[in-house]
Amino acid sequence: MKGNSARKAKKIAAHSVTYFFSVLIAILFIFPLVWMIVTSTKTEVQYAYDLGSLRTFLPNLKDLSTFFDNYGSVLTQYDIWKYALNSFAYAAAVVVGNVLINALAGYVMAKFSFPGKGFISFLIMFLLIVPVETTIIPLYSIVHNLGLSGTVLAVIMPPLVSVFNIFLFQQFFTNISKEYIEAAELDGASQLKIFSVIMIPLSMPIVATVATFAFIGVWNDYIWPTMVLPSPQPGEWPLYPIQAALTTIQSIEGVTTGEVMASLVITSIPIFLIYVFAQKYIVEGIGAGGLKI
Amino acid sequence: MILTSVAIIGVFLLIFAVFVVKDLVFSKKGLLLKRFSFRETLCSYLMLLPAFALICVFVLLPIIYSLGYAFTDYYLLTPNQTKFVFLDNFKDIVTNIQNKGDMYNAIINTAKFVVFVVPLQIGMALGLALLVNKKLRGMGVFKVLYFAPVVISLTVTSFLWVRILGGGESGLLNSFLVKLGAKPVSFLYEPQQAMYWIILVSAWQGCGYQMLILLSGLKGIDNTLYEAAELDGANVFVKFSSVTMPGLRSVTTFVIITVFIGACKIMVQPMLMTGKQSFTITLNYLMYIEGYTYRWVGYSSAIALLMTIVIGAITFLQRYLLKEED
Repeated sequence: MKGNSARKAKKIAAHSVTYFFSVLIAILFIFPLVWMIVTSTKTEVQYAYDLGSLRTFLPNLKDLSTFFDNYGSVLTQYDIWKYALNSFAYAAAVVVGNVLINALAGYVMAKFSFPGKGFISFLIMFLLIVPVETTIIPLYSIVHNLGLSGTVLAVIMPPLVSVFNIFLFQQFFTNISKEYIEAAELDGASQLKIFSVIMIPLSMPIVATVATFAFIGVWNDYIWPTMVLPSPQPGEWPLYPIQAALTTIQSIEGVTTGEVMASLVITSIPIFLIYVFAQKYIVEGIGAGGLKI
Repeated sequence: MILTSVAIIGVFLLIFAVFVVKDLVFSKKGLLLKRFSFRETLCSYLMLLPAFALICVFVLLPIIYSLGYAFTDYYLLTPNQTKFVFLDNFKDIVTNIQNKGDMYNAIINTAKFVVFVVPLQIGMALGLALLVNKKLRGMGVFKVLYFAPVVISLTVTSFLWVRILGGGESGLLNSFLVKLGAKPVSFLYEPQQAMYWIILVSAWQGCGYQMLILLSGLKGIDNTLYEAAELDGANVFVKFSSVTMPGLRSVTTFVIITVFIGACKIMVQPMLMTGKQSFTITLNYLMYIEGYTYRWVGYSSAIALLMTIVIGAITFLQRYLLKEED
């Protein structure tokens, strides 16, 4: 009995240590984010007053009249909603195009036989291994020479195709029984119809994963849009997506710390929502990434 | 440029055609023409066309061009005066390194970043994964909290930490230092420490992602292995080295390679946190400055080619060595 309670005490002590470290690490991990959100609700005066004390991590709940002021000015004065709308539009175009184009290619590679298939699958394997991370300058010169730079197409077209996504779809479709296709063929359905009515609905999990990652990729991209799109001009609808606009907002004269933080928070909200609601697909995507090697 | 591109794609299509003919005429059993249905073949080609065309223009051509440009003096604004200069770009790079110029700094800073961030980020991720994997109440909450920084983009991360590490008394960290009676430090503009702050911030932002991957690896380890080890009287460290580590090998390989490749490409953080500074410039950032800001695509492509070779070689080596161990 005595030994049992001693063991229990030891266990509680061990758990306490674990919890203590967990909380400590959690504080270290999220204090910047807490500070970002809290500061986004403060006026410049309040921010300066709180700086250097623990109040800087706490919202000022005594005077709520200015609580959302920074959000108001970021939305109306700095037009961040226009940039956000741009980002949504680019992301939507890329998500739809990317899923369709790569699913189609993956489907053909998984289920059809045609002359030259060996060469195409070699090409896909080759491009999966070759590090293509450093080709941004040649890509820029190609886009520039095609006359696409300065247009929306320059942001939308390059991310439409992804060799890795083709590979993912191919893996997925390989596991789907060929009987579905044969039955539909007997009914006289066209290949495109089989693809859109049977294959895409069957592959919803992988479609969701690819779509989620494509959205995050486009939403978070910063360097490429700033290379190919003109910086915002007063009086015109800007072409910059939201990440690129953060640089613009930063450099506006007289912008307050609270306003900058508000723009950072607004930029992060959609990705936060995606991680909350599409978590399952993200974890699956990470798993699929692991399969790659 | 357009003509060259068409020619390259033409050559590529020709190679494809050769393989098509080979498939049509030869098979393992000898000559065989009627192996493919015409309808199916046509259908395949049509359905592959969008992806194939986009790959040609936006993936294949850039790779081939980055190879070709590296040996020319291509200047984006005067494309017609481009000359083949063979190894001149590489000679310039060597001279620059000897004179301890931008290239020298970029190599040192990138190497510093990779050498520190890979073990730091993966070590943190492994530690967090092991912690979160404990079967205790509330660990799910901690998992979400540790993952939180992954949700914000590199741009947001950079702008946020500029405010935290900012010089003068208005930076968050400095405001506390001043309170404690110390002098404010401009962390991001101290040549000795700026790169280490960028390393720390990058590891903070990224490690939650690797934590999730390693966690899925940990969940895949058979629990009976731990029980067996316990019966043999193994302590925590023995269990870790003889059960956890072997069980995580393939996941760890994947994580090391992806973090390594990502680290080699580092650009956004120095770009937004310090701008072009000798003590934080990195290879990818220098490549961007030379190719985009200064429009020297030739020189920039030479840097890109060197990076590609180094990344490719080390990735190959890592994979080879880890396969060897199995």
